Amino acid sequence: MRPTFALALGLALSTAALAGVPAAYAAGASDTDQERAARWQEIAKSIFGDRTIAPTDTLVKLEAPKRAEDAALVPITLTMPDRDKIKAVSLIIDDNPAPYAAKFEFGPAADTSELKLRVRVNNYTDMHAVVETTDGKLFEAKQFVKASGGCSAPMGMSDEEAMKGMGDMRMKFADAKPGKPVDATLMIRHPNFSGMQMNQVTREYTPARYIDKLTVSAGDQTIFTLTGDISIASNPVINFGFKPDGKPIQVAASDNQGGHWTRSFTAPSPTN
Amino acid sequence: MRARSILPRMAAVAAAAFCLAAAQPADSPVNVPEPSGLYTGPQRGYTPPTLKGAKVVDAAAVVALIDGPDKPVLIDVAMREKKPANFPEGRLWLPVHPSIPGAVWLPNAGAVPLAPEREALFFERVSQLTGGDKAKPVVVFCHVECWGSWNAGKRLVEKGYTAVHWFPLGVEGWQDQHETRNLTEDPAWKKSQAAER
Repeated sequence: MRPTFALALGLALSTAALAGVPAAYAAGASDTDQERAARWQEIAKSIFGDRTIAPTDTLVKLEAPKRAEDAALVPITLTMPDRDKIKAVSLIIDDNPAPYAAKFEFGPAADTSELKLRVRVNNYTDMHAVVETTDGKLFEAKQFVKASGGCSAPMGMSDEEAMKGMGDMRMKFADAKPGKPVDATLMIRHPNFSGMQMNQVTREYTPARYIDKLTVSAGDQTIFTLTGDISIASNPVINFGFKPDGKPIQVAASDNQGGHWTRSFTAPSPTN
Repeated sequence: MRARSILPRMAAVAAAAFCLAAAQPADSPVNVPEPSGLYTGPQRGYTPPTLKGAKVVDAAAVVALIDGPDKPVLIDVAMREKKPANFPEGRLWLPVHPSIPGAVWLPNAGAVPLAPEREALFFERVSQLTGGDKAKPVVVFCHVECWGSWNAGKRLVEKGYTAVHWFPLGVEGWQDQHETRNLTEDPAWKKSQAAER
């Protein structure tokens, strides 16, 4: 269905452009912006209480496509170059019904310079990345994303098919260089049902089933612990960096319905 | 984006030539026929290009109506977000419904079937909003590729409304260029829903 939507919208937009849109309804005017700002205040308060969140353009950068091709699979990149300052990062998709998409808490084996994941986006929305620094302060970066319907988009297959091989994992490693962090990509087979997806045949909602906890370690040193939510896309793919010390990479994932899976991967050793 | 989108559409046209009788729900965006009455399939799906007795409008036409002398009644029938039954207690759930400013939100008023008292209330609300004038412009919409607004429009046409406008691109087609406002549910509609439970 989505290609049609893109086409239809494209046509509608060109018509709108030709007709000349009255200023009162043009995007970027203040009322909508104010409403977005008020909503962010409400969300931030419910997650972080009264703590101050300062803007940053260095501690964390949030990249997302301005217009997503697939609202159920929106790629997000978080860049946090000051490894030693970063304790955790939260990703909030303001206008999703469950806005708190993910929280990553980093351990000693983490390299935070680049973290990627894929999320569902339900409405045109602001997204916020909030980092907590090791001295307990909060900093935010913001990005506006145009996508809608991602939380309720059906997977295009039966629930049984979507759950086939649930918990299977793969990991890819980039080449290791001595003394440098290694980039890795973790792929987990899991439908991450949002609970908002309607089975088009039975017209019943598939219950939410999503990975709510994911821990990745290098040996006994944690790389990160992820607290997940229904906004993370099906078949989660997470790119992250870690400091290799020759020990295997351990992954433990669990979902909100009691599923639990573990897997160990052999980390690459540096070659000269 | 357009180049990407047009190809599948052309393929669909070719496929449709071989398959004149469209399946329900339609598996292609072209040649979706108008059902003779209300559409009883799932709400999400390709919709027809027309609605007999109503005018199909784009966002620019909606703007023209709003800016025109006879302000339309804007009726949003998008479903409210369904909170997953097993969503954890205490986890942040804060659904929001951005829409056309000034619209009245009657969630799921395009449902089929709709309980008789709910359908009666739908007509009552529209009658109040139009001041009993069946020639008053009414714009019905929900989301893109959503039958809810088609059905709501059909109900109004069959009730004798003569200036029904169906805006099939809905909220998605609007928000790309225009201001939105977060709507709360029409109080009367919400109250009746609560009484039904």
